[in-house]
Amino acid sequence: MTHLLDVRDLVVDYVLADRRVRALDGASLTMASGESVALVGESGSGKSTLGSAAGRLLPPSADLRSGDIAVLGESLAGLSNARIRQVRRERLGFVFQDPIGALDPTMRIGRQMRLAQGDRGSIRDQLERVRLNDPERVMRAFPHQLSGGMAQRVGIAMALSARPRLLVADEPTAALDSQVRQDVLDTVFALAAEAGTGILLLTHDLSAVSRRCSRMAVMYGGRVVEDGPTAEVLSSPLHPYTAALARSVPGNTARGERLESIPGRPPVLTSESAGCAFAARCAFAEDRCRNERPVPTRVDGRTVLCHRVAEGVS
Amino acid sequence: MRLFVWSATRLFSAALTLLGVSILIFGAMRLMPGGYATIVLGPLASPEQRAELTASFGLNDPILVQYAHWIQTAFGGDFGRSLVSNDPVAAELGSRLPVTLQLTLMSAIPGVLIGAALGILIAVRRGTRGRALGRIASALGVSLPEYVVGGIAVYLFSRYALGLTVGGYVPFGEDPATNLAAMVLPASVLAVFVVSATARTTRDAVLNVLHEPYITTAVSRGQSPWSIVRHHVLRNAAIPVLVVASTVTAYLLGGAVIVEYLFNLPGVGSYVVQAITRRDYAVVQAGVLLAAALFIFTNMVVDLLVGVIDPRLGVSK
Repeated sequence: MTHLLDVRDLVVDYVLADRRVRALDGASLTMASGESVALVGESGSGKSTLGSAAGRLLPPSADLRSGDIAVLGESLAGLSNARIRQVRRERLGFVFQDPIGALDPTMRIGRQMRLAQGDRGSIRDQLERVRLNDPERVMRAFPHQLSGGMAQRVGIAMALSARPRLLVADEPTAALDSQVRQDVLDTVFALAAEAGTGILLLTHDLSAVSRRCSRMAVMYGGRVVEDGPTAEVLSSPLHPYTAALARSVPGNTARGERLESIPGRPPVLTSESAGCAFAARCAFAEDRCRNERPVPTRVDGRTVLCHRVAEGVS
Repeated sequence: MRLFVWSATRLFSAALTLLGVSILIFGAMRLMPGGYATIVLGPLASPEQRAELTASFGLNDPILVQYAHWIQTAFGGDFGRSLVSNDPVAAELGSRLPVTLQLTLMSAIPGVLIGAALGILIAVRRGTRGRALGRIASALGVSLPEYVVGGIAVYLFSRYALGLTVGGYVPFGEDPATNLAAMVLPASVLAVFVVSATARTTRDAVLNVLHEPYITTAVSRGQSPWSIVRHHVLRNAAIPVLVVASTVTAYLLGGAVIVEYLFNLPGVGSYVVQAITRRDYAVVQAGVLLAAALFIFTNMVVDLLVGVIDPRLGVSK
């Protein structure tokens, strides 16, 4: 079976003026066609890098050390510039965090959309599909005249106009008001389901994930540490980090129970992590965790990166 | 309507600026040491002669009266007569302005276009070697003074027959071919600075725009680099480039003194500088006021363009 997205052991460094920072330290993730996967992790966990890599959109400072990314069986690394542009146009869609910044400030919405989608259907229809009330007015408007929610709907309309196979949404609602968030996410998921588009939702908003994505992948220190069906991962986490993450979500704790924060800070890697990246913050860490890199272990339809998963420590 | 209100406000503030400039020039000329009479009559003239000369030009009146008189006549296009040659200043400036205008246009228009194109190329090219070369060349072009570039040009073109004439200016109306042959070299010397300054600004502006999120978005949609530059980069990077281009142009309009001297061009710059050394109040005042007016006008045009380019400024609806 060909995967919609197949990221295999991806290692990416950012080369800064005075040092290297490792953003992905052997990350692996696969998605089936039409699947909606949430990629969850703190800032700096590498999820944005993974999302960008899915369209070969990494900035020039990024150095892809090893590993591979394939979309529908086609490895992106070796593609010609013309071919990767075609893949982006036909198979991929991206929605980013800053909705207004993602639009050209000097161009009316109608023109930008025409430019983005060529002559694939009516722009008015596209805007109506993302539930914008007054499409005519939006088309005449400049980006700064729109609210964040409206601008993000425009961004979604542009990203989905070609009915891509995969939509990568990088914190699409982080900049929006909380009421608008649910509404925008509902729109994205409804439209994607209708078109058979798979969604990779990058977020740290676990409550948004639980209702919408069938699968979730948790990232920590540039690796996917736990990957499985959302409900099971949240209700019975196998990786200590996932467990800590689940306990820090308001909706996941019983009334009167304290919300837990995870002690310590996420690591900033400069090269390959010697052992498990979470070992320094993990209550169950032993010598092996600090010195030996954990390998993916399959447990009950989940993939977990933890030496002690068999002991059921978390 | 918005455009009208905007233009009216700009015009009003331009008029106010010009008034301020006129007061400043008028005052500054009177503060310069060495009276007019001494310069004209020499140090050996008798006090009576000096008094007579000073009185005949109205230089004994209170300074406010002098200023009012000047401004009043200046409004009618009369800037008085040169205190040295007794020729009408307006006529002299009028005959010299075309030379300066021609020099400005011939250096600014090609200079800005070439500079902008180079800047875009340097910014878009990923190759670090081209970028480094561009940086060195533009730094050199901006920092080399006109008298160095001009001096080298004069030497090369007068020592070896390279096709362009050094000096030998005739008005365009008399003999276009000879005029152009004489103007190309001085215009090119000025263009070195224009090209370098524009290229640098353009490169920085384009690089800034290339880091904007909407560029990433355009890339993620599979737009080609050329389409991105044409549709998203040019317009967004245009503003700083326009501002620099206008400043350079306005500066050239004020008279490229050194180049005019080097190539013996009868432009505004050399006229005004000569007048300063002779305390020729009328000429200096009129010349500086003209330069200021052109500067303000150029800036106004650019402000308007910037307003049209960037909808966030709310000039056009």
